[in-house]
Amino acid sequence: MKLELRKIKVTDLALGNEMKFENGLLTIDPQVIIDGLKDDVNVKDVRVDIAKPGDKTRIIPVKDVIEPRVKVEGTGNGFPGVTTKMEQLGSGLVNVLSGAAIVTIGDIVGFQEGVIDMWGEGAKWTPFSTTYNIVVDISVADGLQPHDHETTVRIAGLRAAEIVGEVARDLTSDEVEVYEMGNIFEETNKYPDLPKVLYVEMLISQGLLHDGYIYGVNSQKILPTLIHPNEELDGAVISGNCVAACDKITTYQHQNNSSIIDLYNRHGKDINFMGVILTPELTTLEGKFRTCDYTAKLCKTLGADGVIISEEGYGNPDSDLLMICKRLEDSGIKTVLITDECSGWDGMSQPLADTTKEAVAVVSAGNVSHVVNLPPADKVLGNPEAIATLAGGWEGCLNDDGSMKCELNAVIGSTSEIGYHNLTVKLY
Amino acid sequence: MNKDYLIISNNPLVKENFQDTIYFQGTLEELLIKVRDMVHQGHELITHPLGASIRMMFSPYKSILVSSEKKEFNEFFASIAENSIEDYRKNTFNRKTDYQHKNDYAMIDKELLQEALKEHVSLRAIN
Repeated sequence: MKLELRKIKVTDLALGNEMKFENGLLTIDPQVIIDGLKDDVNVKDVRVDIAKPGDKTRIIPVKDVIEPRVKVEGTGNGFPGVTTKMEQLGSGLVNVLSGAAIVTIGDIVGFQEGVIDMWGEGAKWTPFSTTYNIVVDISVADGLQPHDHETTVRIAGLRAAEIVGEVARDLTSDEVEVYEMGNIFEETNKYPDLPKVLYVEMLISQGLLHDGYIYGVNSQKILPTLIHPNEELDGAVISGNCVAACDKITTYQHQNNSSIIDLYNRHGKDINFMGVILTPELTTLEGKFRTCDYTAKLCKTLGADGVIISEEGYGNPDSDLLMICKRLEDSGIKTVLITDECSGWDGMSQPLADTTKEAVAVVSAGNVSHVVNLPPADKVLGNPEAIATLAGGWEGCLNDDGSMKCELNAVIGSTSEIGYHNLTVKLY
Repeated sequence: MNKDYLIISNNPLVKENFQDTIYFQGTLEELLIKVRDMVHQGHELITHPLGASIRMMFSPYKSILVSSEKKEFNEFFASIAENSIEDYRKNTFNRKTDYQHKNDYAMIDKELLQEALKEHVSLRAIN
């Protein structure tokens, strides 16, 4: 498979009367997005705003973030299995409006959080403060049940990304990232002496607001499955999760999965990157045993020497993470875990909900309990009431001047467990 | 097939919708302790006592499935039940339960329980 991502750099964003791109300036006609999304009878109202890096703007509550793109050569434009008919992803040429993002808002439940501050202290903690954001606020038809509400908002975000992505159809750029890999036998023949490495990406798969999708299939319904890394970079994996703000993997982060890109960059140099296994994080223990056994079996069958595992969320998925780790290490496969920590305000508590002695190589994506101070915003996109939810966790978190304290777990993508975020690890 | 599970819940919406719920009028922490004690008495954990995100720790409500039959003491389940209490206490040390959105939490907990029951029944069919 060979996938080329042609990066068209967006360096400014404006609202206007037409959809166009000129010298880095992306102009959005809100009506085009509104008309496109209102084709869905479940969409009652759409509001389109923009938020640029440095604006004193707060976006809340964020549901998903999606990168606008268009496929100009090859099969599978859009999100096959969800917004377009089923086609194979992973090959071809894609024009990417790099630096732009669709941010969907609209609360499905009142306790939903997920904040993006475009300026100041808050901006430091989320990767989406540096993107030029097209913020799409979706209200749904009255009486819609929660499941249909979630589906409507999720699909509207993906469609908005397609509509904006169309702007890039006839554009060109010299910056092209090429992701190419032959089958496992070809690559192993090329690099017979390099360790064979698989990447296991775990997805929250537990029900309403706690789901992930692969070509439109709810990951709750699958056994762990092997996917070519290019398919994920080409839009095969979609977020349906909007509770775990700090460590949910947004669709944008799947499209730009840092773990995949880093493994690709080292492929043929010091490792032989063999592919991605997508593993559901189920609710029942019996389900967890099944997926963990099955994941370990896939890694063994494929002859992996090493495995990188990334988690999504916190709490019961910690058990899956450690059970997979134990099974792999017991089989002689070296295993590295990427997770975030929930180690209290002072960072001194036990970081995960579970432990195993086999977890000897763990990369921390940050402490979700770390407290940050957010100043008041000039402009709020979304539901200002959600700000009270965000800060309402303890006495003294709301100050008289309108500033507030919140834990990192409320900030979108702040402790991304696939590594697509702003924090780094310090070696001691 | 006989029902092989018990629903232990402090969620009034679950009590309303699932006839045989063992309804427990108490806090989420007290519920976790009750479930831990049941695991020590031999009930197997069917669902993990914790949710999949920090936010769900601030929920006033939770529903957990355990086996209706008491079996041999299982150290693995006991350790999960114990760790869940510790983890809950750690995460709610500074944070208050979010009663303001209790109805939304009740609805989401019920939805997640329904999914867990589907998962359990499908697994039971092949066991």
